[in-house]
Amino acid sequence: MNITKIDEAAIWEALRQVVDPELDCNIVDLGLVYGIAINGVTISVTMTLTTPGCPMHESIAWGVQSALLNLEGVEDVEVNIVWSPPWTPSRMSEYGRSHTGVSDSR
Amino acid sequence: MSAKASVGTDVRAPSVALPLRFILTGIGALLTGCAWLVLRPDLLATYHYNQYVIAATHLFVLGWICSAIMGSMYQLVPVALEARLHSEKLARWHFALHVTGFVGMVVMFQNWNLKYVGSFGSILALGVGLFIYNLVRTLARIPRWNVVAFGIASSLAWLALAIFAGLYLAAAKCWSFSPFEPLAQMHAHAHLGGLGFFVMLIVAVGYKLVPMFALSEVQSARRAGWSIVLLNAGLAGVFATILFSSQWKIVFGCVVVVGLAFYWLEILAILRARKRRNLDWGLKYFLTAVALLVPVSALGAVLAWPQLPLTPLTAQMENVYGFLAFIGVVTFAILGMLYKVVPFLVWYASYSKAIGRGKVPSLAGLYSPTLQATGYWLFISGLLLTSVATALAHESCVRAGCVVLLASVIVFAVNIGKVLIHLVRPRIEPLVLKPTLQGVA
Repeated sequence: MNITKIDEAAIWEALRQVVDPELDCNIVDLGLVYGIAINGVTISVTMTLTTPGCPMHESIAWGVQSALLNLEGVEDVEVNIVWSPPWTPSRMSEYGRSHTGVSDSR
Repeated sequence: MSAKASVGTDVRAPSVALPLRFILTGIGALLTGCAWLVLRPDLLATYHYNQYVIAATHLFVLGWICSAIMGSMYQLVPVALEARLHSEKLARWHFALHVTGFVGMVVMFQNWNLKYVGSFGSILALGVGLFIYNLVRTLARIPRWNVVAFGIASSLAWLALAIFAGLYLAAAKCWSFSPFEPLAQMHAHAHLGGLGFFVMLIVAVGYKLVPMFALSEVQSARRAGWSIVLLNAGLAGVFATILFSSQWKIVFGCVVVVGLAFYWLEILAILRARKRRNLDWGLKYFLTAVALLVPVSALGAVLAWPQLPLTPLTAQMENVYGFLAFIGVVTFAILGMLYKVVPFLVWYASYSKAIGRGKVPSLAGLYSPTLQATGYWLFISGLLLTSVATALAHESCVRAGCVVLLASVIVFAVNIGKVLIHLVRPRIEPLVLKPTLQGVA
C-alpha cells in the first residue's frame, strides 16, 4: 500500500504524540525531528535529542516506532538519531518555547 | 554522524530493580541516621572521637551516601558514558555484601568490637571491590574518554584507597602496629572518602547533569579538566600531610580549593549559557550543594592552618566541618540527584513502552514540586540551625536542628513514595489523535 500526501500529515501528527518526559513537550514542537522519508510501507525518521547521552534515548526512539507503527499501512519504521547538525532551541516551535521556557538567549 | 535506533536491543542501563534497591536502602539509612541524631544530639555537641560518633558517621557514609551513590552510578555511568554495564549479576552480589558489611560495621562500632568491625569491613570491602571492578570494566567500553569519565575513574581510585585505609585503621587498632597518630589516620581516611570519592563524583557528575538538565554544555573542557587534575593533586597532598601531621596540609588544601574554584567557574559558565530559563528543584538542590562547598572549603582551610590551637571551639568547628561536608554538601547533592534518578527509573519501568501509544505523565508529574520546595527550605533551615548549635555545643539546639532535618528527609521520602506508586499503579491515558492536518515543523 502506498502512503499518500495526506498520510504524511498523519505521520507528523502521530509524532506529536511522542513526548520528551523531561521537558514535557512533544518531539515535533521541540524541533527534534529533522525529517521523514516514506519508502513504500517503510518510514525513516531522522531526528536528534536535546543532548548526547540523553537517558531518554531508547524510550523516545521506541515511542517514535510505536506511534508510527500504529498508523494504517505502515509496516516498518527506521529511527536515525543524528547529532549533526546539533539541536538548538531555534528549531522549536513557538508553542514549544512557551511551553518549556527554553530559549536561545537569556 | 548517525545511529540507527534498534529499540529493545540497545538498553545500556541495568534493570530498574538494581539501582532502586541501593537507593531505597540508602533512604532508610538516612532516616535512621537523622532519627539517631534527634535521640542523641550529644553526638554532634561533643568531640567526634568516640565509638558512637564513628558508628553514626558510618551509618551516614556507608548506609546512606555510598548506597545512594553506588545505586545511582550503576544507572548513570552506563547511560551517561554510553557503555553497557559490565555485569548486573556482580552488582547484585555487591548489594548483598554492602548491606551485610555496613550494618555489621555500624553495630560493631557501636559496641566497639574492632575485630568484628574488621570482619564486616572486609565483607564491605569485597563488595566495593566488585563495584570498582564492574565499573572499571564498564569504563573500558566507553567510546570516548572525557572529563566526566576521568572524574569517575579518579573517584573509584580514591574509593579503593579509602576502603584500604579503613581496613588498615581497624587492623592497627586491633594489633597496634601503626606508626601514625590514630586521630590523624582517621582524618586522613575520612578525607579520602569524603573528598576523593564523594566530592570528586559531585564534580564529575555535575559536568554531565548540569548541562543535561539546564540544556547547556561544558564551556571549557580545559578548565573542567584542570579542576579534576588539581583536586587529585591536592587530595594526594592533603592525605599525606594529614597522615604525617605535617604543617604543609594548608598548601595542599589550597590546591584543592583552587581545583574547586575552577569547578565553580565552569558551573557558572554552564549556567550562564543555559537554554532552559527555569531550573527545577532537583537541580536547585544540587547547585545549593555545590555552593555549600564554599563555606566548607573555607572552614577546612582555617582548620588546616598551622599551629591552630585545639580549643573547645576549634574542636567543635571540626564537627561542623564534617557535618557540613557529609550532610550539607554530599547529602544535599544526592537528594537533588535522586529527584532526577528515581523518577527516571520509575518512568522507564512503567511508561517507556507506552510512549507514543498512550498519554503518559512527564517526569515532573510523578512527584510533588510543593513537597520538593518544602523539603528544600526545611533542609536549609535544619542545616543552619544544627551547624550553629554544633559550633556552640548546645545539645538542645542540635536536637531542634536535627528534628527539622528529619522532617525534611521525611518529606523527601514521602515524595519518593509518590513516585514509586507509579510502579504499581501506572497512569496511562488513551491518546487523542486530532483528525485535522497540523503544520509541519
